[in-house]
Amino acid sequence: MSALPLPDLAQCASEPIRTPGAIQPHGRVAVLAADSGRLVAYSANWPGEDAVRQALAMVPADAGRLQPGNSPSWLGSLPLDGRTYDAAGHRQGEHLVVEYEPSGPAASMVAPIYHVAQQVLPPLQQAASVDALCGIVAREMKRLTGFGRCLIYRFDADGHGEVLAERLDEGYQSYAGHRFPASDVPAQARELYRVNHIRLIPNAHYDPVPLLAAAGEPDPGRLDLSFASLRSVSPVHLEYMRNMGTAASMSVSIVVGGRLWGLISCHDHAPKYLPFQTRVACEHLGRLLSLQIQAQEGNAEVAQRLALHQRVLTVVALMAETDGTLQRLVEPGLAITELASATGAAVVLNDTCWTVGNTPPADAVRKLAHWIVARGDDLFCTDRLPEVYPDGEPLLPACAGVLAVSISRVHRHCVLWFRPELVQTIRWAGDPRKTLPSQGRISPRQSFDSWQERVRGRSAPWLPAQQAAVSELRQALIALVLRRAEEMAGHAVELGRVNKELEAFSYTVSHDLRAPMRHIAGYVDLVLEDNADKLDDRGRRYLRHVKDAASYAGQLVDALLDFSRLGRSGLKPSLVDTRVVVEDLVDELKQSERGRAIEWDIAPALPRLWADPLLLQVALRNLLGNAAKYTRGRTPARIRVAAVSLPEGRGLEVSDNGVGFPMKYVGKLFGVFQRLHRTEDFDGTGIGLANVKRIVERHGGSVWARGEPDRGATFGFVLPPAPNNNDAADAGRSEESA
Amino acid sequence: MLKPILLVEDDPRDLELTLVALERSQLANEVIIVRDGEAALDYLNRSGEYAGRAEGNPAVVLLDLKLPKVNGLEVLQAVRTTEPLRSIPVVMLTSSHEESDVLRSYQLGVNAYVVKPVEFKQFVEAIADLGIFWAVLNEPPPGSLRTRRRHD
Repeated sequence: MSALPLPDLAQCASEPIRTPGAIQPHGRVAVLAADSGRLVAYSANWPGEDAVRQALAMVPADAGRLQPGNSPSWLGSLPLDGRTYDAAGHRQGEHLVVEYEPSGPAASMVAPIYHVAQQVLPPLQQAASVDALCGIVAREMKRLTGFGRCLIYRFDADGHGEVLAERLDEGYQSYAGHRFPASDVPAQARELYRVNHIRLIPNAHYDPVPLLAAAGEPDPGRLDLSFASLRSVSPVHLEYMRNMGTAASMSVSIVVGGRLWGLISCHDHAPKYLPFQTRVACEHLGRLLSLQIQAQEGNAEVAQRLALHQRVLTVVALMAETDGTLQRLVEPGLAITELASATGAAVVLNDTCWTVGNTPPADAVRKLAHWIVARGDDLFCTDRLPEVYPDGEPLLPACAGVLAVSISRVHRHCVLWFRPELVQTIRWAGDPRKTLPSQGRISPRQSFDSWQERVRGRSAPWLPAQQAAVSELRQALIALVLRRAEEMAGHAVELGRVNKELEAFSYTVSHDLRAPMRHIAGYVDLVLEDNADKLDDRGRRYLRHVKDAASYAGQLVDALLDFSRLGRSGLKPSLVDTRVVVEDLVDELKQSERGRAIEWDIAPALPRLWADPLLLQVALRNLLGNAAKYTRGRTPARIRVAAVSLPEGRGLEVSDNGVGFPMKYVGKLFGVFQRLHRTEDFDGTGIGLANVKRIVERHGGSVWARGEPDRGATFGFVLPPAPNNNDAADAGRSEESA
Repeated sequence: MLKPILLVEDDPRDLELTLVALERSQLANEVIIVRDGEAALDYLNRSGEYAGRAEGNPAVVLLDLKLPKVNGLEVLQAVRTTEPLRSIPVVMLTSSHEESDVLRSYQLGVNAYVVKPVEFKQFVEAIADLGIFWAVLNEPPPGSLRTRRRHD
């Protein structure tokens, strides 16, 4: 049947379809050198080399007129073996390829192309949709060619051909609404369709005619016949045609924006030959369809983009009125789901997740968002999540499609849109899986019977305009976030200025308020000492009150200044052994509380805490000092120091058997100048616990208190653990520079 | 003859109380009073109003931090950068114990720093301690020793 060995299907993709070294038998070929015009090769169906030279002499091929990359041009007609032949030539690299084919019936004085221009162009221009365009072209193509079936199909994103329009004669199987698997058209065939827009096989049962070398010329096996209409096609394809019950076929490419958009495919059960002029008209019709599709799709896309651009502007304008945090995006008023025709959307910032509409559970969204951010792409888009995301399957059916933009990788900040699963039923023209080997050789599929497949795990595809819209939104959001960051930096400067003012203020307070207190106390002392004899008891008592009041006011000023200093000074944390600190403080208290019976119960194992040693000592001094103070009058006083370990950190608890306090006042305990006891009973400024709280909170820890009147009180705190080494260094630096 | 104590104080009440404190500490040193930083430098440099005073540095300068015209820190800085004056003991007296003042004073080479206590009794004790240490006990550095001999 074939002069060439049959390749199997696996080799199909590497088959040299451009250089078959042979032609179909319905015409003849002569190959010339473009520069000298000498004969290089010719097809074996010429009577001999002389006959080739005679034909060339009758209709000369002009190398200057034929430019590379163009499809064959009509050179003229000539009689060969008693018939009229059309000669067409094209330039292929260093060669001129001249093809001779029998002419069509001379009766038709009107070239088919005029009919296309006059009758088809107007309805094409008025067609409202791509489907309508395809319907018109299918009808015209069938009329032009007279083939039994003419169908138009579009390649989807996976390369499968989806039949959009069909015209057929009785006795032909319908493929309307079916799909042809991508494997039907191998990659190199696709590429050839993209550049050479027409291919005709008049008879699938043909025997190829090999090319012969002219005298003294090299083997013509490597001659490129990409643009030759007589090019012999792949034997696998011929077998495919025969399996399909097709004797003749013609394909015309639909190329949109430089991409092979689809094919016009014509079949006939019987062999069918189309002359040169008809083929030109078919190719022209294909080009018209391509242009119209391009225009329709372009217009549709522009309209979509414009509408979505408006939406993006609206969203950004609304966002600009908020605090600029991206979680505002999920507020229903912004309707960001509509931006991408999604059913749900989410904003994820590190471990926090805000959602609107139908989304997977927050945990799953967070996990997915982190996975997407880790990919490092600005835009992530899939309409088949389970195929790309390992944990995608459980998210079905609520979420099969995800569109996401990453705002910040450092903060794992991204915005996501979700679409539900859309279970599709695809009708294949033959089961695409049934290309199994039979008896050692892989052959093209045998069956073209309708076969239905349910496709799961996919959503409707995200349109390019929608992807562009969310990309645009991303840019705007980043700009917004940056602007907020600048404002924050501005606030920080302002804060620094206010802090400086506060420092100046406290300096003034310390200096100017303290001095009058000192003067009052000093002069009262002088009066009491120098004029004691001139005063009666009452006078002396009054003056002592004046002096005590002034001293107390002075202490308050000092305490207040200490408190404000605690808030301002930088933290210089290190690992502090609280056992050492506690022991020192207890020794100190034993000295100052000499003569009292205090039973100290200090746990043998006290923690090492990550803290500023000085501040931690101030806090512990306050807690231990309070315990000593409020157990005055207890014999024996008992003070217990214990270690505390909580999930958020470790710390200490100081318990005593002192006067305690009612729990309803626990909220007041840590306030500045809050006192629960009369001054006569217990001295103090009421600022000690406020200092403890401020110190603990500056370390990121927490304080608590428990008490019962006359039964004692317990005060405790925990501090967070030491950060890991790098963080510790960073934290140290930022605190110092703050 | 004992060298005098230079007291630099602008506040009249603080001045009076300090003088009482010095009096109670029973120091025999004469107390020279100036009311601002400029006058203090004039006295020390024997210029302006004090151009005609006898030669010799004081035993100690008790210097208030907040002063009109030239403040205490500036006076201290001038003392420490003026060759004939740099070894004079300077004690900073102040109402404030703001850290930056303490730190700055020590950087400038202050010999002692006293935050005036609110309690007058404590103030008297502090002044007495200071006076005894700097005006009586402290052996002046070699430079001022020679000066004293010339005046004795």
